[in-house]
Amino acid sequence: MTTRILATLVFLAVLAAAPAFVPPFEVRVLSLFCFWGALSLAWNILGGFAGYWSFGHTVFVGVGAFVPGVIVAKLFDGGGAELMPLLVLVGGLVSAAFAGIIAWPLLRLRGIYFAIAMLGVAQVTGELSAAIEWIGGGVGLSLPDAVPAALAPEAFFHYIFVGLLALTIGAAAWVRGARFGQGLLAIREDEDTARMLAVPTEGYKIAALVLSAFLTGLLGATYGFSLGYITTDSVFRTDFSLNMIVHALLGGIGTIAGPLLGAAVMVVLTQVVLGEMLNLHLFATGALVVAMVLLAPQGFLGLWRRKPRAQREPGP
Amino acid sequence: MTEPVLEIRGLTKRFRGLVALDHVDFTVPEGTICGLIGPNGAGKSTMFNLVTGFLPPSEGEIRFRGTPVTGWSPQQAGRSGVARAFQIARPFPGLTVRQNVRIGALFGRSGPRDVEAATDTALALLGIEDLADRPAEGLTVGHLRRLEVARALAARPVLLLADEPCAGLNPAETDAMIAALRRIRDGGVTIWLVEHDMRAVMGLCDRILVISAGRAIAEGTPGEVAANPAVIAAYLGSEEQEAHGA
Ligand SMILES: Nc1ncnc2c1ncn2[C@@H]1O[C@H](COP(=O)(O)OP(=O)(O)OP(=O)(O)O)[C@@H](O)[C@H]1O
Ligand SMILES: [Mg+2]
Repeated sequence: MTTRILATLVFLAVLAAAPAFVPPFEVRVLSLFCFWGALSLAWNILGGFAGYWSFGHTVFVGVGAFVPGVIVAKLFDGGGAELMPLLVLVGGLVSAAFAGIIAWPLLRLRGIYFAIAMLGVAQVTGELSAAIEWIGGGVGLSLPDAVPAALAPEAFFHYIFVGLLALTIGAAAWVRGARFGQGLLAIREDEDTARMLAVPTEGYKIAALVLSAFLTGLLGATYGFSLGYITTDSVFRTDFSLNMIVHALLGGIGTIAGPLLGAAVMVVLTQVVLGEMLNLHLFATGALVVAMVLLAPQGFLGLWRRKPRAQREPGP
Repeated sequence: MTEPVLEIRGLTKRFRGLVALDHVDFTVPEGTICGLIGPNGAGKSTMFNLVTGFLPPSEGEIRFRGTPVTGWSPQQAGRSGVARAFQIARPFPGLTVRQNVRIGALFGRSGPRDVEAATDTALALLGIEDLADRPAEGLTVGHLRRLEVARALAARPVLLLADEPCAGLNPAETDAMIAALRRIRDGGVTIWLVEHDMRAVMGLCDRILVISAGRAIAEGTPGEVAANPAVIAAYLGSEEQEAHGA
């Protein structure tokens, strides 16, 4: 256990040190890995542990990014750069609150119905963000440049993404070890039996969604700042929702290392190997997913770790 | 006189047209093993579904340790000390045997410090400690049944509802299960048992309730019940018919 914590800390420290040693492009690739890995791990708290697959998790990226955008536009007239940490936190909190509101009706749905309902929520929220003029999604929103003079932009955002990845790993590891996490596993395996064993299934499902949305919202807000200018199309992205699931599936769903491994493979594949051939991304993603589903349904981790894990459909 | 663990009064369950339970009364005294028997479709599992809060009764009252609990939720039942081993064993397939039992302990009535102890005790009592690290998926029926009972037991229940724990077991496994149930009772857990295996029922139970087509047709000690003509006609008779038909 302690060796695992130590290994994780070393891994994060090496990641964080990258800007001192590698050129800007590689730093951006590593930041992208942190962003995708953390997103997938946040998704995994609900999807992997509790077995409730969300097909629309990008809604929390979008809400997380739009909230600071709107606040900055309405209250600070485009300024407020020094408030970035607070604005990111508010983005996460509003995402979490939004999740809390939709959780009650949505988490009564099981399996594929929940997944589709989340897709619908993401679609509708995205449309609304573009349609409501007051929010400004149609035209877009500017986020202030918060990068300190002493730092290169890619280094600044890299440090934040590494920090958020550390936070997400910490949160997921805590959940996994806690009574809460064991309850989520019970829900994933058989929700009726979980109820009989006195697992507070309703409360746990809501808590898992809210925690997942909070982390996703923080990531979305930071992503918004790193773009500097956001529109509906740049943050309410269906491919984000899809990637979170694909990374978890590739690496090993329901584990902690799995989603990170999946994200790493996809980042290397799409940014490094196929970097020049943009139109091949989707093809490569699709081919890899099909191959994995056929050859290693438990993900890369399942290939060398014969840990028991049922091959399950999304949800019960 | 100690207070009964469970009292059932006028309990009725209707599924649209079908009356699955019809004004049934029964009392499970503390520290006993009681039986619930009857032909297929008599309403035995329905009784357990009502007592554990999986289904709301249409009429009647359920009291647990003197408190009215009619219409409570499965979680409330579990927290109060009612555990259940399902008729179709339902272990968590993707988890190991130990993880299964440990979840029972985590959400049961032992304190957080006792979780590992309650898990080990339950595994040992059912004789599955050697399988602790095996995935639940792929266990034999005999082991699944024992796991099902161990997980229920790990919650340190007051009342254990065991729905056909011997179904599908060979004679040796049945003997082991009978011995385990007896030890669980000796440990202070009251048991209400649904079982088709007459050897198990007659050997274990202090009192037996016989239902047929939703109605209580007899109640008493194993000897009394076995000698009751209505029981022989309704239950043992149908068993014999089945045996001859097969
Ligand atoms: N949820 C339900 N909805 C409708 N009918 C039901 C439901 N549950 C049980 N029944 C019906 O109620 C009757 C009693 O069923 P129950 O499962 O309680 O019988 P049982 O005594 O446990 O039988 P067995 O020995 O086969 O397990 C049956 O006719 C069954 O079809
Ligand atoms: Mg039954």
